[in-house]
Amino acid sequence: MTILALDIVTTALILFVVAAGLMVILGVMKLINFAHGAFLTVGGYTAMVVTDAGLSPWLAAPAALAFGFGAGLLIERVIVRPLYDRPLDAILATWGLGIVITQLITLGFGREVQFAASPMTGTLPLGDTEYSAWRLVVSGVALAVGAGLTALLYLTRFGLNARAVIMNEPLARGLGIDSGRVRATTFGLGAGLACAAGALITPLLSVDPNMGLPWLVNSFMLVLVSGVSIPSLMLASLLLGGAQVLVSSFVSPILGGMTIVVLAAALLRINPKGLSLG
Amino acid sequence: MVEPAPVARAARPAAERASGATARTPVRSAWRSALVGSALGLAAVAAGPFLLDTYTTNILIRALFLAALVVGVDILWGYAGVLTFGQSAFFGVGAYACALVFTHYGFGPGWAVGALALGVLGAAGVAALVGWLAFYHGASPLYASIITLALPIVLVQAIFAGGRFTGSSSGLSAFPTYYWSVGTWFTIAGVYLVAVTAAAWLFVRSDFGRLLVAIRENEERCAYLGVPVSGVKIALMAASGAVGAGAGFGYAAFTNVVAPELGGFLLGTELLIWTALGGRGTLIGPVLGTLGIDVTASYLTGALPFLWSLLIGIAFVAVIVLLPQGVAPVVASGARRLLGRGPAAPSPLALAPAPARAETREGVAAPLKVENLSRRYGSLKVLDGVSFEAQAGAILSIVGPNGAGKTTLMRCLSDGGERTGGRVHVNGVEIGRGAPQTVAALGVGRSFQNTNLFDTLTVGECLTLARYKRDGARKFARRLALDLPQPALDILSATGLSDRLGLETRHLSHGMKRGLELAMVLATEPDVLLLDEPTAGLTKAERTAIGGVLVDLARAHGLCTLLIEHDLDFVREISDRVVVLHQGELLMEGTVEEVVASDLVKAVYAGERAETAP
Repeated sequence: MTILALDIVTTALILFVVAAGLMVILGVMKLINFAHGAFLTVGGYTAMVVTDAGLSPWLAAPAALAFGFGAGLLIERVIVRPLYDRPLDAILATWGLGIVITQLITLGFGREVQFAASPMTGTLPLGDTEYSAWRLVVSGVALAVGAGLTALLYLTRFGLNARAVIMNEPLARGLGIDSGRVRATTFGLGAGLACAAGALITPLLSVDPNMGLPWLVNSFMLVLVSGVSIPSLMLASLLLGGAQVLVSSFVSPILGGMTIVVLAAALLRINPKGLSLG
Repeated sequence: MVEPAPVARAARPAAERASGATARTPVRSAWRSALVGSALGLAAVAAGPFLLDTYTTNILIRALFLAALVVGVDILWGYAGVLTFGQSAFFGVGAYACALVFTHYGFGPGWAVGALALGVLGAAGVAALVGWLAFYHGASPLYASIITLALPIVLVQAIFAGGRFTGSSSGLSAFPTYYWSVGTWFTIAGVYLVAVTAAAWLFVRSDFGRLLVAIRENEERCAYLGVPVSGVKIALMAASGAVGAGAGFGYAAFTNVVAPELGGFLLGTELLIWTALGGRGTLIGPVLGTLGIDVTASYLTGALPFLWSLLIGIAFVAVIVLLPQGVAPVVASGARRLLGRGPAAPSPLALAPAPARAETREGVAAPLKVENLSRRYGSLKVLDGVSFEAQAGAILSIVGPNGAGKTTLMRCLSDGGERTGGRVHVNGVEIGRGAPQTVAALGVGRSFQNTNLFDTLTVGECLTLARYKRDGARKFARRLALDLPQPALDILSATGLSDRLGLETRHLSHGMKRGLELAMVLATEPDVLLLDEPTAGLTKAERTAIGGVLVDLARAHGLCTLLIEHDLDFVREISDRVVVLHQGELLMEGTVEEVVASDLVKAVYAGERAETAP
């Protein structure tokens, strides 16, 4: 029972940290980044490169964050900026970008499944039971990311500008906020978060060029259900992720794989605003 | 009862002039190009097996079936604006219908026909279900994409869960099938593609095809004209699902192998890539794109496996960013320049007065009855306890300061989902929670404050669209003559639109757009007419003309008209009664004289506190 509860909570937090980058980009830019899955994959390979180079595995996620941020700035300038007025086309263009990234990775690293070293192995004692140490660490990081993003949005100048752009972009520009810069930074941040999340989940899985794809679909659904707010993304992850764990454990793992998608589609049909808390 | 007014006579010669001037009409041109295209296509199909080696023929059979699937994607996305990720699922349903029946139940001509019917009907049913989920009034276009994205994922998981019955992840193979020669299969696939493409070609050039473009450009406006938008999209989805399943069935029967990937999300996105590269909304572009890319891929994946996908990915991104309409329009305009021909001339349309409706409006005393209507946004009350009746044959003006709730009132009267409390009766029928097209069917016509028309449709096409509720839309042909009610014809000739039926609406002046907007609403022959500032931004002359038509509509045709106006002189000239709204409440209702004389109304317009007034 404790194990099941831990599974639900850690799964929800892992889903949250994986979806956070997508949410940041959708929130500020009103743009669905279908390259999110490829960014996760890039994070996974960054972790592999870092550990293969003999560096500490703890450096994997920060390195992925930095790499993703830089790459995100570049991608925003070249591909995303012309598509701000065409949201459905932006989905397609970022999907195409995802294909390009995946193929570049395949060309560079091969298509076979590989592994990255984990910073922590084994289990931690937790009350009367033992639980995977790395899942607990990732969950902690997810909570920190949630808190950090909230602080960034509500306590910093960038957050104030970003919120102004979210609410009313023309007015924000009229007030002298450089919305282009806010958007670029946001895309960089979203891409960086996605890469870091990819590096974080890598020790739980293996690395292959298509590792991001299943996560992309689930993140997309969670973000749409949650609207754009950090607490409701947390809630959506907990509800739908929890349902996924329950279905996988008690019904069938195959049905578990589509729980989030089906529930999210149904939730949005019943209430187009989803679980949005604001 | 309608006398042929001079305007109608003025309208006719104009239309005749137009029809005499252009010989190359899109209607005839569509049939001719479909025949020529089909003949060329069939010739290529007949010659293919003799000219191509077996390997290429084999690959082409797959590409031909996929191209038939892509036709559905292009109609949904390119014409109707529904970005669908899930078309592959229908291909998968057709393929698995073939494999499952032949593997588990039996094989023979009867079984084959049964399996094909099962696949096609099953896919149409799934598509209709998906459409019902995805398309409802107020759904965002993104939601439809989400549902179509979920569909292949669910289908593939269902195949995985099917165990030995569906073959799980390895699929089914080596089931009995017709071991015809490759040439025969090539002919079957080729004929299927030519037939599907030709039918689609005629379909998108018909009145119904223009209706799809109208839905893409302004879905809301279509709904208010009484077009059952969701129903149209669901039917379209079901039809394209059936066509896709037919292709999937053929592919499975030919290859003798099915795998979950045939119905998967990745194939669904590939279909979009081929459509985008070929040129969405051109039909031929996506078909040729599919054939070209799929065949080249089969040759190159051996030599440069990952590089080929990389190049396609780069091309896809570049086309979406730089050339959103794809390659086909570029080729087409180049070819036209070489041949020295312009694009096809717009359809000539002859206008004629429609016979007056048999039923009289005098039967219902108050065509519009509003009881205790309210609209809240959270704790904000925009309308509160508004009750009034509007009579047949009278013009009721609604006045009030900005933010009084006038436009919200119009919305609540024309869309059953808008109000939060109260009742609205149209011709004695409660509108309930009906969507705009349902309310329009009860007899409500609404014009909008901003002139939001359909940019790429011509004036004639807009009018044809507005008659959908009365005349329907032809699915494989163009209407050459259009009967419009006399008041609509009057507006068209008064604003000079009857000479410009072939002009795209984005080229119209503001006054003409207003006139067309009004003519479209009148073309639906409403009993209750809701007009939101019909004369805003018009010249004095245009204003007088429209005022004259409105008065005539009420007096001669017994129409019940509700009008939002800011120009009080105009209100005074034409209104029978006036309703004053203030802060969401009905302040007073009375004749023009009563309202103008009221101290209360003066106080509101002068900005004093209404509460202090008696």
